Amino acid sequence: MKRQVPLVLCFVFGIAMIFTRFSPHSVSQWIYEEVISWILIIGPFALVLATVTLIQTHTTRIRRRTEHWQYSLVVFAGLIIMVLIGVPFGPQNSIFEWLYNNVQLPMDATMFSLLAFFIASAAYRAFRARTFEASLLLLTAVVVMMGNVPIGDFIWNTIMSWSPWTDKVSEARQWILDNPNLSARRGIILGVSLGVISQSIRIILGIERSYLGGGD
Amino acid sequence: MIKITQWIVVTLVLCLSVSVAFSQGLAPPSNVTAVDTPNDDGSSITIKWDTAAEDSGVSGYQILRQIADGELEAIGDLLPVEATSYVDSAIEQGTAYSYVVRAVDETEATVDSDQTAPVEGKDQWFHTGKVPLLITMLLFSAAILWNIYDARRGKDIFVRRIPGLEAVDEAIGRATEMGRSILYSTGLGGVSGVATIASMTILAQVARRTADYETALRVPCRDPIVLNVVREMVKTAYLEEGRPDAYNEDDIFFVTNSQFAYAAGVEGMMLRERPAAIFLQGTFYAESLILAETGNSVGAIQIAGTDSEHQLPFFIAACDYTLIGEELYAASAYLSREPMLLGSLRGQDWGKLLIFSAIILGVALELSGISWITTLLQRVN
Repeated sequence: MKRQVPLVLCFVFGIAMIFTRFSPHSVSQWIYEEVISWILIIGPFALVLATVTLIQTHTTRIRRRTEHWQYSLVVFAGLIIMVLIGVPFGPQNSIFEWLYNNVQLPMDATMFSLLAFFIASAAYRAFRARTFEASLLLLTAVVVMMGNVPIGDFIWNTIMSWSPWTDKVSEARQWILDNPNLSARRGIILGVSLGVISQSIRIILGIERSYLGGGD
Repeated sequence: MIKITQWIVVTLVLCLSVSVAFSQGLAPPSNVTAVDTPNDDGSSITIKWDTAAEDSGVSGYQILRQIADGELEAIGDLLPVEATSYVDSAIEQGTAYSYVVRAVDETEATVDSDQTAPVEGKDQWFHTGKVPLLITMLLFSAAILWNIYDARRGKDIFVRRIPGLEAVDEAIGRATEMGRSILYSTGLGGVSGVATIASMTILAQVARRTADYETALRVPCRDPIVLNVVREMVKTAYLEEGRPDAYNEDDIFFVTNSQFAYAAGVEGMMLRERPAAIFLQGTFYAESLILAETGNSVGAIQIAGTDSEHQLPFFIAACDYTLIGEELYAASAYLSREPMLLGSLRGQDWGKLLIFSAIILGVALELSGISWITTLLQRVN
């Protein structure tokens, strides 16, 4: 019974949601919007559970004085300050806004900016011309980069001044993006779409049920 | 005095003649029809009319609407002269509306079309424009179901080798030998994301093996609902492997909802705990490379998988193995070797064959000047 009810619910709602994609009727649209609203309602309940687990995890770390337990104090400080200001005074409160704009946003931006360094290190590894495939990747990347950066035209034209391909770097870049790149992406998208349909059928029919916990 | 009177009369007659001549040039819109808009929820009526002749003098159209015995009222803005249809979306179901299309010229002279018959907006149960999509979906579903049925009868199903999934045992074994933990991230997706569900099914298989090997499995979650589902799944996997004592609920925990704070949290875990194996499976965005590169820097064996095609190059560059797109969805079947799940994989391949055949046929027909497949696909779109 513990398994059957979720499986039946999954089947009924799965079929209903497919039906809503093919029916413009107001009843089917109502069903669709209602189910989406239910998801929104479940979210806050789960958030309460998540917050409790967060507190439990960090309380345990502080109590047991595990390695780097001091970071858990920072978590509690952040949590308590934001709750004490945000809950009674709302998100429009000036202190809450100040904390968001001057603490959270800069930290988010810092994390995002790290991406530039990681791209450089990953590109260095990926573009080492050890094999034919890596060399091809390197060559393609150089052309696309040349076509994207403002100084690319100058560099390309200087290097290629002897050849009939001067002023062609932007065209070459666009050709790479429009042909091999787009074809590969579309191939992946087709595979993903079929995979999604296949996975959905397995879930709706109850063949795939490991998300309920366990295999059978 | 008589002459003056005669002159005024002649002038008036001339003016009248000119105005009649001009008003005859502004022809009323022809073939005006009002019909319930097809394939909608009955919330609109479409009014259509023929294009005005180039020398008609029409500069625009105004739509007038009448409800039952009420007055004609103008609705919407003045439409340009090239307009030949208008969708009235401000209607109520069960009320009949009739319409008049008024042609307007530069001098703001107007002429009205005949009034249309009253029409009501009606709900449609089926979108007829989606018939080809429905047929394709049914065909594809039938292929999957047929193969599942075939697999249930015990037919052996070949599945090509997927290196990323072959490496799962190797990664877990390595972590066990090194006495370090395994880090598993389900990504940023919510529980309604199919990639997240696929990721959770892989996690269930990984948890079975970590339960066997008694290796610590750490799962930082970004979504509260995913957290609770994952806890239940991992707990059941440990129970089914007969190792409920090895399950530690604290190892599956909520980090934060915020994208980069989650990335920072998981990155910190990687640097502090130095896991021997890292699984990045599910939906990822800009944080994909941050996580993968940090994992690489701590020397962990990394198996990534995502259906976000923009993040795939990052994973391929930074991880040891990457499940590309559909391989993520095949993982559950591949790892469990459950015949019914494997059957659905073959059905998926049939679907691919169908699509590739359609592409080749479409290209061949298009090159021959026949474009019905292109037209059909444009209609579906």
